[in-house]
Amino acid sequence: MTAASDRLAVELGAPSWLVAAWRLTWPPLVTALIVGGGWELLIWALEIPAYYIPAPSRIWQAFWANPGNLMVHAGITLLEAVSGCVIGSLLGAMLGTGFAYSPLLARGLLPYFIAANTIPVVAIAPIIILWFGHGIESKIAVTTFLSFFPLALNMMKGLQSYDRVIMDVFHVAAANPWQRFLKMRLPSALPYVFVGLKINVTFSVIGAIVAEFVQADRGLGFIIMTTYRSLNMPRLWAALFISALIGMVFFGIVNALERLAIPWHSSMRTDV
Amino acid sequence: MSARTAIARGLAPVDAAAPCVRFERVSMVFRGQGGHPDVQALCDIGLTIREREFVSLIGPSGCGKSTLLRIIADLVLPSEGLASINGEPPRRARLGREIGCVFQEPALLEWRRVQDNIALPLELAGVGRDERAARTAELLELVGLKGFERAWPRQLSGGMRQRAAIARALATRPRVLLLDEPFGALDQITRDRLNMELVRICEATRATVLLVTHSIREAVLLSDRVVVMSPRPGRIIADLAIDLPRPRTLLTRDDGRYADLVQRGTSELERGYDGSER
Repeated sequence: MTAASDRLAVELGAPSWLVAAWRLTWPPLVTALIVGGGWELLIWALEIPAYYIPAPSRIWQAFWANPGNLMVHAGITLLEAVSGCVIGSLLGAMLGTGFAYSPLLARGLLPYFIAANTIPVVAIAPIIILWFGHGIESKIAVTTFLSFFPLALNMMKGLQSYDRVIMDVFHVAAANPWQRFLKMRLPSALPYVFVGLKINVTFSVIGAIVAEFVQADRGLGFIIMTTYRSLNMPRLWAALFISALIGMVFFGIVNALERLAIPWHSSMRTDV
Repeated sequence: MSARTAIARGLAPVDAAAPCVRFERVSMVFRGQGGHPDVQALCDIGLTIREREFVSLIGPSGCGKSTLLRIIADLVLPSEGLASINGEPPRRARLGREIGCVFQEPALLEWRRVQDNIALPLELAGVGRDERAARTAELLELVGLKGFERAWPRQLSGGMRQRAAIARALATRPRVLLLDEPFGALDQITRDRLNMELVRICEATRATVLLVTHSIREAVLLSDRVVVMSPRPGRIIADLAIDLPRPRTLLTRDDGRYADLVQRGTSELERGYDGSER
C-alpha cells in the first residue's frame, strides 16, 4: 500500500517531503477513520445518550459552534504548560548540574527532592495556588514544580554518564574543567536531557489542567470543570481532544529539537 | 633533556639521540579496596627511551605495561620512583601538549564529525579555526581518512575509527606518542594493514613512540627495541634491540632475522612465566 501510494505521488509530481509526510500520517489516519466511524455507528445503533458518550459528530459540532473560544482557552493552557516546563527544566538542569559536581549536595538534598516528587500534584496544587494567587502565575508555578525533578535527575545522570576513556583523552590533551563540561560532559548528557524534557512535556500539560481544576476562570481545565457541572458533555469531550492535541504538538516540538540537537545519537538512527 | 642537564645530574649523554622518556626505579602499588589486598603492579622499572625511538612494551596481561604508559601520560602517579619526559615531570609535557595518546578503544566523541574529533586537541589548545582546518586536512590525508571528514564516528568501521583516534593523538604534533594496544580489538588483516600504516605515520611524524602490545610479532615488526616484562609484579626481564632494516614492510617478516627475533622474544616471555611460578 505504501509503495503504491508512493508511486502515485511520484507520478503526480509531489515533492519528496510531502511523500515522506504522507508515509508517516496515513497509518494513524486510517486508525482514526476506523475508530471514529465505529464509534459513530455504535452510538447511533445503541442509542447511547450524548451526556453518556457523545458521538464524534456531536463533539465536532460542539467544537465548531465556537472554535475561537475553545482555542483561546487551549492557548492559555498551552502557555501555562510551556512556561512552567521551560522554567522548571532550566532550574532542574541547574540543580542537576550541581548534584553531578557535588556528591555531597546530592546526598544532602536528593532524598527530599524524591520525597517532594512523590506528592500528588492534586495535593500540592491548592497550596501553590494559595501562594501564587489566582492568575496564570500560580498555574505556571504548578507546572514548574512538576518539571523540576525529572530534569534535575536526568541532568545529574547524564553528566555522570561520560566515557572514562574520553575523560583520559581530555586529560592528556590538558583540557580545563570548563572545556570538559562544555565539550564532553554536557554533550554526553544531552540524550538524558531529552528523556527528561519528554517526561516534562506530558507532565506539564497534566499539571496545567489540574491546576485549572483547583481554581481558574480560563483554560481547558476550567472548560472541563464548567461543562461537567452543566453536563455539556460534547463540549467537554472537545476540550479533552484539544488537550491531547496540545500535548502532541508540544511533544512534537521537543522531538524536533532533539533531532536538531543530537543527530549523532543512536536513537536518531533512521536506517533501523 | 639537554646534554648539559644530563651531565649536571651526573648522567652520561646516551648515543647520538638524547634520552626522551625515562623511568627511574618506578614502582606502583594499587591500594586494595573493600578488604582486597594491595596489588603490586610494577616493581623497580628502569627504562630510557631515546628521542625518535620506537619502543614496544610486551608482557602478559596484568603485568603493568599499560600502567607504565599511564604514568608517562600523567594519568596516574607512580607509588615510587620518577618518570620524566625530556628531563621534566610528565605533567609538564602534558600541559605543554607534547603527549599524544591512543587507547585500545577509539574513544571518539560520537557527537562530533570525524574532522571535529581530530581537531579536538587543537580546539582545547585554543588554536584558531583556519589553522585547525589546515592541520586537520593534513592529518586526514596522513591516516587515510580523506573523504570521511564529515562522517559521524558511528558510521565508520573499527579500523577507521582507530585511524581517526591516531590522527587526533597526532594533532598537536606531540613529541611522545603513546599507544596502548591500539589495534587490540581489530581483526588480523585490518591489524596488519594498520601496522604498516603506523610505520609510515611514525616515520612521517618523527615522534618518540611507546607501544604496548600483546603480540611479539607486531612488536618486532614495528620497533627499534622490544622491552619484555614479567607477570605481576611487572619487571623488565629483557630488552631486545631490533636491528631489522628500515623502512619496514610486511616483507620484513620474510627476513630470517625477523623469525629469530620473534623466537627470542617468545622465549624471553616464557622465561618470565617460569620465573613467576617458582
